Amino acid sequence: MTSRPAKNSLLFALVLVAASLLPASSAFADLIAPQSGGGTPNAEAIRSLYLWIFGLGCVVFFGVGGLLIWTVMKYRSSKGAVAVRVHGNNRLEIGWTVGAAMLLVLISVVTFLKLDQIKNPPNSSANGLATPKNVAFASGPTKPSLPPNGRSLDIDVNGQQYVWRYTYADTDTNNLNNVFSYEQMVVPTDTTVTLNIRAQDVQHSWWIPELGGKFDAVPGYTNYTWFKISEPGVYEGQCAELCGRGHASMIASVKAVSPDEFKLWYADQKTAILAAEKSAAAARNKLVAKDEAALKTVPKSEAPAAAAPVAAADGKKIFVAGVPATGALACGSCHVLADAGTKGAVGPNLNTVLKGQSAAMIKASTLYPNKIISKGYAANIMPANYGTSLTKAELDALIKYIDEAVNGK
Amino acid sequence: MTTTTATPAKPGIPEIVTNSAAPRPSGWLSWLTSTDHKRIGIMYIVASWVFLVLGGVEALLIRLQLAVPDNTLLSPQTYNSLFTMHGTTMIFLFLMPMIAGFANYLVPLMIGARDMAFPKLNALSLWLFIAGGIVFYGSLLFSPPECGWTCYAPLSGTAFSPSNGVDAWIFLMHLTGVASFIGALNIFVTITNMRAPGMSWGRMPLFIWAMLTQAILLIISVPVIAGAVTLLLTDRHFGTHFYDPTNGGSALLWQHLFWFFGHPEVYILVLPGFGVISEILPVFSRKPIFGYKAIVAATLGIAVIGTLVWAHHMFTTPLPFFLLIFFMLGTYLIAIPTGVKIFNWIFTMWRGSIEFPVAMLYSLGFLATFLLGGITGIFLATFPVDWQLQDTYFIVAHLHYTIVGGAVFAMMAALYYWFPKMTGRMMDEKLGKVSFALTLGGFWITFLIQHSAGLSGMPRRVYEYADVNNLGTYNMISTIGSFILALGVLLTIVNIVQSLKKGAKAGPDPWRGNTLEWFTPSPPPVNNFDVVPRVRSVEPMQDIRRQIERQDRVGEEAGVAAGD
Repeated sequence: MTSRPAKNSLLFALVLVAASLLPASSAFADLIAPQSGGGTPNAEAIRSLYLWIFGLGCVVFFGVGGLLIWTVMKYRSSKGAVAVRVHGNNRLEIGWTVGAAMLLVLISVVTFLKLDQIKNPPNSSANGLATPKNVAFASGPTKPSLPPNGRSLDIDVNGQQYVWRYTYADTDTNNLNNVFSYEQMVVPTDTTVTLNIRAQDVQHSWWIPELGGKFDAVPGYTNYTWFKISEPGVYEGQCAELCGRGHASMIASVKAVSPDEFKLWYADQKTAILAAEKSAAAARNKLVAKDEAALKTVPKSEAPAAAAPVAAADGKKIFVAGVPATGALACGSCHVLADAGTKGAVGPNLNTVLKGQSAAMIKASTLYPNKIISKGYAANIMPANYGTSLTKAELDALIKYIDEAVNGK
Repeated sequence: MTTTTATPAKPGIPEIVTNSAAPRPSGWLSWLTSTDHKRIGIMYIVASWVFLVLGGVEALLIRLQLAVPDNTLLSPQTYNSLFTMHGTTMIFLFLMPMIAGFANYLVPLMIGARDMAFPKLNALSLWLFIAGGIVFYGSLLFSPPECGWTCYAPLSGTAFSPSNGVDAWIFLMHLTGVASFIGALNIFVTITNMRAPGMSWGRMPLFIWAMLTQAILLIISVPVIAGAVTLLLTDRHFGTHFYDPTNGGSALLWQHLFWFFGHPEVYILVLPGFGVISEILPVFSRKPIFGYKAIVAATLGIAVIGTLVWAHHMFTTPLPFFLLIFFMLGTYLIAIPTGVKIFNWIFTMWRGSIEFPVAMLYSLGFLATFLLGGITGIFLATFPVDWQLQDTYFIVAHLHYTIVGGAVFAMMAALYYWFPKMTGRMMDEKLGKVSFALTLGGFWITFLIQHSAGLSGMPRRVYEYADVNNLGTYNMISTIGSFILALGVLLTIVNIVQSLKKGAKAGPDPWRGNTLEWFTPSPPPVNNFDVVPRVRSVEPMQDIRRQIERQDRVGEEAGVAAGD
């Protein structure tokens, strides 16, 4: 074996490796360490813990790597090195075992020293938002860790395919009345924000790199984290756990504003949500009233059918197969409904979107699909002909069936 | 004396004596019906390289899509299928069978046995693995799975993955799982019962120790994943709710079961590599392995601790705090036996007389690459740091450094080292060195920069990304590297094909090896050994060579004396 080609190929490999390191300039801030920003203490502590381990890792990598290269260069047979028959050395074995162990003890100690700052939220600063004590979403067997004085802005973070919903805790016990927002979370600066992370459908992972680590949103569980931002700004992130085809576009951001601006935003949001709900309710009532008025004009000949409601099994049949003769398409070809076993993916999953809705609401949604549209879906996809293509009896049976299938009897 | 039964012409010198030998069966049918461990081993390796090409093409498509920000080359559906196929293929259809191939080929030869303990079961494992591969790639005809090689519930349930791709994945896990399990039993029984006379536990080659430990790990962990995917199958098609949180099931149950298998799986992949390195380094350093007992102890230690740290893959899930601490410290512990091994390997070369054939170069590439993979493992074991790094390209980089560095490079070394034994011909060293340089350089270019991509906020398994924090530059570098790496692998394939026909004749022992496989002709006869020598040390071939030299000297001196 000549060493010349060997040396050349090693050199070549080294040059290629060096080429990959070229962009290592100061412009590349996140080249060697995770991000931290906004002055949140947990992310800063994680970054500094990382840098400790990075430093020790460099010592080990260059130390052991250097020893490797030195050994290989020095004891080349082409340089006339003669092998010595050595089978081992107990002192060396004990030495590097203890050495490795000491290094790990050192890393453990640094980790435990930083842990408090990473894990436990501090109190809000004096100039932060004044939040009431112990107002938090109570969920899950494990308790969230709150600041020592129990005062934080508690937000429920709910991952759904493919959007994040944030619900702000308040003193009202009915969670349906809470202020919420999607995608962008607005928070006050200098205030400790505690997060309850949950998932609606599949697993997601909450991650804003500058604001600390990621926490998985696992359906059926609640995960907790916190941050406390001192610099106003927008901090971007995205879902970090594969959640389906839209995973890459499930973005999230946190917008930190002064407590006063936050109060304004919060009040605006509350008004906007109330107004929207009110107008939606009015629209619904109007639709239901219109529907009922229309039904009163049904010719007498069809009345007996209405008097003897069709059994739910027929509703299921209409759901699965539609009524081809009159042009009523099968609901199941576009919608998921567990009870009917349908798996259509064109429209929203009915088990999810109709959960908790009244029969009247389900009826309105069926008759006027373009008036009430689930988030993430466009208008004019679902046919709006169910009022004419189904008889009153068929429609009632269908609505009764869907209601029972989604919300139970 | 090395032989006991033969009656050699020259007293005391080993000689191969065959009274009668049936003609070797030939033709493709003889391969398909073979129960010869060597043929099964070669078929394993060839099939695994077919899957390497498939998995490699998938990887290149992934890198093409990520080469520039906001790329529209692939749809999210295609992209998700590609990384699912890539990960599953590389682990279950390339690495596991390639390791199984070398294990099949080498274990009986290295311990001086004439075949595996259960030759027919051995053939069954091979064909189950191939059936698994066909079932899995059959899903290309309808809809390949999109849930990643980890197939986390509830995403892998029918509600969110209605197509049958996940079922194809489940059957792949069943078929290759049964193949691995039977194979592991076979290896375990072969090693414990069929060693050459004199080969006590303390004289077993380190590759054999590694395969024994790997077999035990497989026997412990494979039934768990087989059960886990069976529950997934019944959840999907038979109305159970094991992983369905809306009906009292638990999404985390899947993760615990998966990683209880998945983490030992990492050692199932790298321990055989460690064994290969422990065989190759002493041969090309012309020096005995340094700290044989320490390496054996470290192998067993890694296996024991490795089965107890699975939840370090779950640091970001809602786990009780004391478990985070337990799994962090447990994972740290693995660094100790791993460090012991690395130092022992370096000191095996220290004061040696080192030669640099391609097999040795890959071993050195393994050491450097695995070293970095091990160090980044400490970053990830520290759970607060893992909170930042988990599920980003930092993890992607780390796992490729350990699995490619720890397993693939070692298997490439094994290929170049044992190819002459398997085929009777040498591989082209010059082409091999070019291939090595491209493979190692391409690998480091592809994956070193991915650490930075992860630190800059790029999650794994995204089909597109925005051009922020230099992600465009990082990914372009990585894509260029991946094509260099692919070229390197391609040259090795060219090398294999060329050398089969044109390679120089190898002879029984081209490297002056240490272990018994070099005692037989290359390629070995069907029965491996006509005479099994008595083993007196970890390096029986050294003993045999010394014995021959001594006898030649005695013979010469006797001849000289007679002439006087």
